[in-house]
Amino acid sequence: MDAQHVGSGMPVTQALTALERPMNEMFDDEGRARPECARVANYLLAMEAGRLAELSEQAHRMFLRMGVTFNVYGNESGAERIFPFDPVPRIISGDVWANLEAGLIQRVRALNAFLADVYGPGEILKDDVIPRDLIVGSPQFRHAVVGIRPPHDSFVTVAGIDLVRAADGRFQILEDNVRTPSGVSYLIENRVIMTRIMPELMRALKVRSVEHYPADLLASLRELAPGGGSDPTVAILTPGPFNSAFFEHVFLSQQMGVELVEGQDLACVDHKLFMKTVHGLKRIHVLYRRVDDDFMDPVAFRPDSLLGSPGLTAVLRAGNAVVANAIGTGIADDKAVFAYTPKMIKYYLGEEPIIPIVETHLLRDPEVCAMVLKDLDRYVVKPTGASGGYGVVIGPRADEAELEETRRRIERDPAGFIAQPVVQLSVHPTLAGAGGATLAPRHVDLRPFVLLGAKPRVLPGGLTRVALREGSLIVNSSQGGGSKDTWVLEN
Amino acid sequence: MLRRVAGHLYWAARYLERAQWRARLVDVNYHLILEVPPRAADPWEPLLGITGEREPFAQRYARADEASVANFFTFDRDNPSSIGSCIEAARTNLSSLRHMISSEMWLEMNELYLESREWTPDTLARMGFSAFFTQLRNHFYAITGIVRSTMPRDMSYDFLEIGTMLERADNVARLLDVKYHYLMPRPGDIGGPADNRQWAAVLRSASALEAFRKLYGNSIRLDRVVEILLFDPNFPRSARFSVERLSAALDRVAAGGGVSAPALASDRLLSMLRTSGAGDVIVTGLHEYLLAVERECAALSDAAYAEYMTVD
Repeated sequence: MDAQHVGSGMPVTQALTALERPMNEMFDDEGRARPECARVANYLLAMEAGRLAELSEQAHRMFLRMGVTFNVYGNESGAERIFPFDPVPRIISGDVWANLEAGLIQRVRALNAFLADVYGPGEILKDDVIPRDLIVGSPQFRHAVVGIRPPHDSFVTVAGIDLVRAADGRFQILEDNVRTPSGVSYLIENRVIMTRIMPELMRALKVRSVEHYPADLLASLRELAPGGGSDPTVAILTPGPFNSAFFEHVFLSQQMGVELVEGQDLACVDHKLFMKTVHGLKRIHVLYRRVDDDFMDPVAFRPDSLLGSPGLTAVLRAGNAVVANAIGTGIADDKAVFAYTPKMIKYYLGEEPIIPIVETHLLRDPEVCAMVLKDLDRYVVKPTGASGGYGVVIGPRADEAELEETRRRIERDPAGFIAQPVVQLSVHPTLAGAGGATLAPRHVDLRPFVLLGAKPRVLPGGLTRVALREGSLIVNSSQGGGSKDTWVLEN
Repeated sequence: MLRRVAGHLYWAARYLERAQWRARLVDVNYHLILEVPPRAADPWEPLLGITGEREPFAQRYARADEASVANFFTFDRDNPSSIGSCIEAARTNLSSLRHMISSEMWLEMNELYLESREWTPDTLARMGFSAFFTQLRNHFYAITGIVRSTMPRDMSYDFLEIGTMLERADNVARLLDVKYHYLMPRPGDIGGPADNRQWAAVLRSASALEAFRKLYGNSIRLDRVVEILLFDPNFPRSARFSVERLSAALDRVAAGGGVSAPALASDRLLSMLRTSGAGDVIVTGLHEYLLAVERECAALSDAAYAEYMTVD
C-alpha cells in the first residue's frame, strides 16, 4: 500500500522520514504497511480529513466525563489531569505476542524465585552469582521481612515489565516494576473508549480482550489466602486521594468488588489484620497494597508514616495475612540488580532468557565507570533506587551544565547509578500537530502486566506509552507522556 | 462497610442537600424581589441570617447587595458552604468510593462538578438567574432520581439518606426561624398581599408552595405554613417527614444491634415532631421550639458520627 494522506495535512512518507533510524511499527522503510497493520492503515487512510482529530476529541471528553484522571506531583493548580490518549491503536501480531508472553512469564518467575531466595536461604549469594553487598547493602533490601514466606512463594503477584522495541524490531527489557506498578486501569479504560470510537475496526480485527484483568487479579490475590482459606477477604490499600495513581486504586476496587482501605481504616490486633467497619472490626486476609514499603508499618519502617498500619510486619510474620506485592520486592527491580537478571534466569530456571535486556553498565565497577564518564553524552544515566523516570539523564539530549552536574553526582556515589546506551525506541504513527491535524511518528514503549498467584496470568498487550513531544524519548505519564490502546491480534 | 466510607457518603449527601438548599434560597429571593418591591434597603441581607453566615460574609464583602450575596452563596470558593464549594466537597467525598455508588451517579456528579469548575462571578449575569438555577436544579434532581432508581437499598443508600435527611430537617428549621423573625412583627402587613407573597416565597424556598395549595388552598396563614414545613407526615421536605426517613435508615443500619445513641437521639427528635402541632408551638414560642429542633439535629449528627463513622 502507498503512503498517502492520513486524516488531513502532512503525507505519511514525509512524517516517516522525519526520524530515520528507529523502527516504525506500522510502516516499513518503503512506506508499506506491515502485514499485521494493513487493516488499521487502510482504515486510517480511508478516513475523511479531520475525522481522526474529531475522534480524539470525543475520546478526550469521555475520559473527562468518566473522571479517568491522574494526579501530578508538585503541581498544585489543577492537580487532576487526563492521561493524554492517542486514538491510533498499536498492533502486535499473535506470533510476536506468544513469544513475549513466554518471555515475560519466564522473567517474572525468575524475579520471584530470586526474592524467595534472598529473603530465605540466600543460595544465589552463597554461590556468588550476584555480589552479596549489592543485595544486603541496598536500601531496597528490607531486613525486617527476612524469613517471611508468602503462600506459593508469591512475592511478585503483580509485575509491570517495561519493554522497548529496538531498531532491529526486537523487543528488549528496559526495566522491571515489581513494587506497586500502575497503569493497568488506563489500559482497560483505553479499550472501553476504543470500542466506542472505532467499533467497526475492532470488529473487523480479532483483538484479544483485556476486560478480564480485574477478575484475574482477584483470583491471583485469593490464591494467596493464608493457610489456603477458601473465602478470604481481599482489600486494596491506597495512600489516598492525593496519590498519582488514586484513580486506578478506585477503579480496581470497583472492578473487583473489594474494599479500598487507607491506613486509618486498618488495625492490627492479636497478630491479625482488621478493617474498621460500621459494625466493628472485620478481618482482612489478603491486602493488595499500593503503598511503598517505607510506609507500610511505622514499627518496622518509617516511624512517621500514617499510610500503613503499625504492627503489620508482625501480622505477616505470624502468617495471618498476606500483603501483595510482598514487602521488600524493590530489591528485584533495583536498576543495578537489573544487570544480573539474565544470570538469574539461568540460575533459577536453567533457561536462556527469551527476551534480552537493554545493555546495562554498573558504575560501581571503577573501570566501567571510567569508560562511561569518558563518553557520558552517549549514555542514559539512571539512579538505581528511583522509578517513574525521575532523575534520568539522557546524555545526547543533555546540555554541558547538566552533564557536568551528572558527572559530579556519579563521582560522589558511583554505586548509585547505572548507564545504558541510548535505545532508539520504535516509533508509531500518532496524532500530532496543532489541533491534532497530522499523523507523525512518536516514540513508544510497552508495559505488559503479569500476574503470579498459584499460576501465571498475562494480560494480552499492555499499556503502550507514547512520548507526545516530537523526538522525546520519555514516555512516563509523570513527564508528559500519553498512551495508546494496544491490540494483540488472535492468531 | 468501612467507617470512613460511611462518613464520606454521609457528608457527600449533606453537601449535596446544602447546595440545593442554597440554590433555592438565592433563586426564590431573586424572584421575590422582582415581584414585591423590597421594603428593606438590603433585601438580600436576611439570607445571610438564615444560613448563619453574616460574619464570614462581612469579612470579605463591603455590603450585602444582589451581586455580592449571590456570589457569596453560589460561586465563592472561599466560602465552604457556597454551592460551588459544596459541589466540589460532595464530589471529593464520592470520588474515593466509586465502588459504593452507581456509575450513573458518579457520572452525573462529575458532570455537575465539571460544569461548576467553569463558573465565574459573571456566569449568573450572563445566563440569567432563571436559566442558571433551572439548569442547576435539574442536575440535582437528576442525581436524586439516579440514586433512587439505580442504588440498591443497602447501607450505602442508608448513609446517603441519613446525611440528606438530617441536612434537610436542619435547614427547614432555620428557614422557618429566620423568616418568622423577619416577617411576623409587622402588624400592618398581616394578611396583606405583601405578607402573603413573602410566605409564598418561604414555601417556595422549600418547594412547598404547590403542596400547600393542594392541602389548604390559596389562603396562606402562618400556622398552616408551620404545619406543612414542620409537622406534615406526607410532604417530603417537612422536618417530620425527613426525620421519619432518617430514623428508618438508622434502624436499618443498626440492624437489630440493640439500643444505640443515635437511635435514642432520633427517637427523641421524632417524638417531638410527632406529638407537636403548629397551634401549640406558636403559642408556646416558635423560636424556642425551632432552636430545640436545631439542637436535636446537631446532637443526632454527633451521635451518628461517633457510633458509625469515626476511625480513631
